[in-house]
Amino acid sequence: MNKKSAKKSAKKNTKASDGIRIRMYRVGFGDCFLVSLPVDGGYKHMLVDCGVHARGDIGTMDQVVADIAQETGGKLAVVIATHAHQDHISGFAKGKETFKGFAEVGEVWMPWTENLKDDQASKLRRKRLALAMQLEQHFKLAANPSPQALSAVMNITGNESALDFLHSGFGGKAKVRYLQAGDQIEKTPVPGLSVKVLGPPRDQEFLSRMDPPAGQRYLHLGDNSKPVTGNVVKPFLERWVVPRRDRSLNTVRLDETSQKELKKQLADSSLDSLAFTIDQALNNTSVVTLLTFSGQNLLFPGDAQYGNWQSWLQQEGSADLLDGISFYKVSHHGSFNATPKGALEKMPLGKFAAMASTQNVPWASIPRMPLMKALAEQAKNKVVRSDSLPIRQAPKGPALSRLPENFEKGDLWYDYFLPV
Amino acid sequence: MPVSRENTRLLFRPLKAYAFDPTQGRTLGNYMTINVNYEELQAGPVGKHLMVIDYDASNDCYYAPVDLDDRSVLLGGGLDPSETNPQFHQQMAYAVASETIRRFEFALGRAVKWRFQTGLKGDPHRKLLRIFPHGMQDTNAFYSRELRALVFGYFSASGDQLGSNLPGQTVFTCLSHDIIAHETTHALIDGLRQHFNEPTGPDALAFHEAFADIVALFQHFSFKDALLNTIQKTGGLLHQLELKPDVPSSQPRIQAELPTLNPLVGLAKQFGEAMGLRGMLRSALGTQPNSNDLDKLTEPHARGSILVAAVFDAFFTVYLRRVSDLLRIARSGGAIEPDNVHPDLANRLAEEANKTAGHFSNICIRALDYCPPVGILFGDFLRALITADADLVPDDDLGYREALINAFRSRGIRPRDVFSYSEESLLWNSPAQNYGKDLQCDGLVFDGTRAASPATQKRNAVVLHRFADQNRKYLGLSERKDTRNGKPVAIQPHSFHPLIRVGPDTGLPEVQFFVEFMQQRDELLDPSDPKGQRFAFHGGTTVVFEQDGRVRYAIQKSLDNAERLRLQREYLQQTGEETGLAMYTGKFPDMQHLNFAAIHRGY
Repeated sequence: MNKKSAKKSAKKNTKASDGIRIRMYRVGFGDCFLVSLPVDGGYKHMLVDCGVHARGDIGTMDQVVADIAQETGGKLAVVIATHAHQDHISGFAKGKETFKGFAEVGEVWMPWTENLKDDQASKLRRKRLALAMQLEQHFKLAANPSPQALSAVMNITGNESALDFLHSGFGGKAKVRYLQAGDQIEKTPVPGLSVKVLGPPRDQEFLSRMDPPAGQRYLHLGDNSKPVTGNVVKPFLERWVVPRRDRSLNTVRLDETSQKELKKQLADSSLDSLAFTIDQALNNTSVVTLLTFSGQNLLFPGDAQYGNWQSWLQQEGSADLLDGISFYKVSHHGSFNATPKGALEKMPLGKFAAMASTQNVPWASIPRMPLMKALAEQAKNKVVRSDSLPIRQAPKGPALSRLPENFEKGDLWYDYFLPV
Repeated sequence: MPVSRENTRLLFRPLKAYAFDPTQGRTLGNYMTINVNYEELQAGPVGKHLMVIDYDASNDCYYAPVDLDDRSVLLGGGLDPSETNPQFHQQMAYAVASETIRRFEFALGRAVKWRFQTGLKGDPHRKLLRIFPHGMQDTNAFYSRELRALVFGYFSASGDQLGSNLPGQTVFTCLSHDIIAHETTHALIDGLRQHFNEPTGPDALAFHEAFADIVALFQHFSFKDALLNTIQKTGGLLHQLELKPDVPSSQPRIQAELPTLNPLVGLAKQFGEAMGLRGMLRSALGTQPNSNDLDKLTEPHARGSILVAAVFDAFFTVYLRRVSDLLRIARSGGAIEPDNVHPDLANRLAEEANKTAGHFSNICIRALDYCPPVGILFGDFLRALITADADLVPDDDLGYREALINAFRSRGIRPRDVFSYSEESLLWNSPAQNYGKDLQCDGLVFDGTRAASPATQKRNAVVLHRFADQNRKYLGLSERKDTRNGKPVAIQPHSFHPLIRVGPDTGLPEVQFFVEFMQQRDELLDPSDPKGQRFAFHGGTTVVFEQDGRVRYAIQKSLDNAERLRLQREYLQQTGEETGLAMYTGKFPDMQHLNFAAIHRGY
């Protein structure tokens, strides 16, 4: 297929002769990718994530879901929900009615950490959710909460409806599979597609990172709707407490400034970092898949961050694997830490294309510009980011003066065509 | 109370403590007495190294400080172990931290000092390490250079992470012997080595954790009752619980048990159960060495456990070698059965275990002097261990060094630039070996066993600086120009200190000097982002001088090593513990020092 024919055909519906098509929708801060694979003169469709962060929502989700329905004719071979963050799955709740009307959904794939029948996973999930809810409430009640930390925990909570729908296999239509690193899927609903699962791992180190300790105090709403501090531990009986001016403290009393400083540092600061820690832990549960079809290798890492990558990057053959990719879905919206330098350098110079679904709301430091630059260099500019699509009242990304080869665009999406 | 006869000076202050933590109750010799070196104390306690301040930041209150000179306390040999009495907590934190300091001073042969020498002017306590036994409600305990303190948290055990705790029971990290020893060790290392806590790579963080664990674990073997108890239960094979009929032969493989079974080889049981954490150490001690683990594990505790396991492999190997004759005699005489070790034999075994643990603990602590000044790798530590021990004990008839080398090798810990695992090639090099050049520094003054006077120190610093500047090339110091002023990158001599030991050949006291020469250069965190964050990249050389000023070893981490810079950048960008914050706020809080509070999220 040459460039010209790709351009022409993309205006209409996809055609088998166009090869693989990867469509990235602009949903705001979130991921929604439709992968269409040519099979027997038609197409088999895979949906990789469908969600947007409440604080980065640009109001396009309904249109996106409608477009998915139209493009696929209500038939999805595989749905991958990479991990249980709002910005990857909220569309499954919002578009539930539309998805329910789909004629066919073959399989739903999720990480093993979402398996309801897995005791270890359930324990982690329960704990994470309880912690995130506590933190959310705390940040909403606290005097000067960090907006970045609040956005991080909001991404974790309120996903029950989407998760229920996914767990039910789109209302009983689909077979649900839970994946972990090392799985190799040869038999998929798409003939000719094989899938290598690179993450999430299931070793002890991974698990201990998933399980941050938490025993701090939180603000929550009391009976009279006023914020009260919860989880208070008074370690000793009152009789051991001595007033600050008491003579017995003469040898150890802190001066007032340092006592205040100490109180601030020790008692008040740890919850932000806890919020980031559980966010990162959840990102690292991302299903990382290498899709192989007609000799093309597509890498979808979800929001994997260093901890997830690192578990397979060190393994034998990872360099060859990265050297053989033809498409890379940029991990975690192009954030710092989500595409390890060592991995990027191993991707084949100028021989792959990449797509980043991103925008700088709600986090101004995402995407990270040096990373986007390095990516453009490695992929010889065959990179697009979703926020280059102008949408009214949505945060503006850098304008794309010229579409790279084999890319197309619509109002809500970019397409990338991979010849087979 | 033991009193020395000559001048009736008080030697010890006996204080009670848990050998492990409150969950062990009175079993396993868990109630122990620590004979703390005597010093005058004020209420707190406040002594010459430590100051216990029982201020609770979460509840914003003070708990009554203990007066260890109170008659009722003295008569009882310290307060009795109790979870509900904060004054016992203060006593235990003071006692265990003091004991850990004593071990370092004993091994190093000099007084330790803390990193910070500043504080509020006029504050007589500004040079003391502060201990907050109930600093805040949190599942954490850490050392902080900025706070000049060890901070211990407390929290309520809840949910599905109870272990032997009751729901809602308060867990005090300051009642875990291991946690106190561990945190004190962090502070001691920071005092010895200014640049050790720079986040240069996964090994540097892991080394900190591992070393603190090693010190804490070796202390277990001085708990006589616990030791005797374990000897009874293992038939003297301390590394395992089941008594096997035959002693493993020349190279026993360490199959450590779950710490619930063998308390000597586990750490911080109560805390671990409450947090569901720290399984890595157990599995590292309990499984066959795997040379691939180093490539896979980056989390500091997990990675550190490989180093801990290597050192303990060597320790148990030597211990078994030392007691093999005793066990043979005992077996032939019927003095050893699965459930019954003759008390005399048990005592002898305990003695050997305690002695061997002391040796290993000393070897490890002494090796700190022989480490490069910054950016330590596990392989560097092996070379430091071997060199330090070979300097002290030239003949190795009990095979300590051989055991260490084999244990490190089987875990894939490979020193850089070394051709083989032979003892000879693992020893650090002198400039003569590196560059074919003998170096000697004339004019260094050392006034006996006393600490050098400020004037002497200043003069030595000038001499050392000139020496290093003239011999940059042979000491592995950068000769490049500093872009800011066009002069060669500055050299700073640090922590000049002597080590006195008995000469192995002559039996006479010999002195060596240790100096760290440091250099630094400002570097971009990300070279493709010229406006981005910068950090101070350090290089330097630890130089060991002979008494006559000859350079015996030059242990180098060059500022010009591009690979080291690349790895440090990658590490800071990808795996620093603050990445969550950096990712969402674009801010890097501190790239010069490890933030132990964040690394630990535990202890």
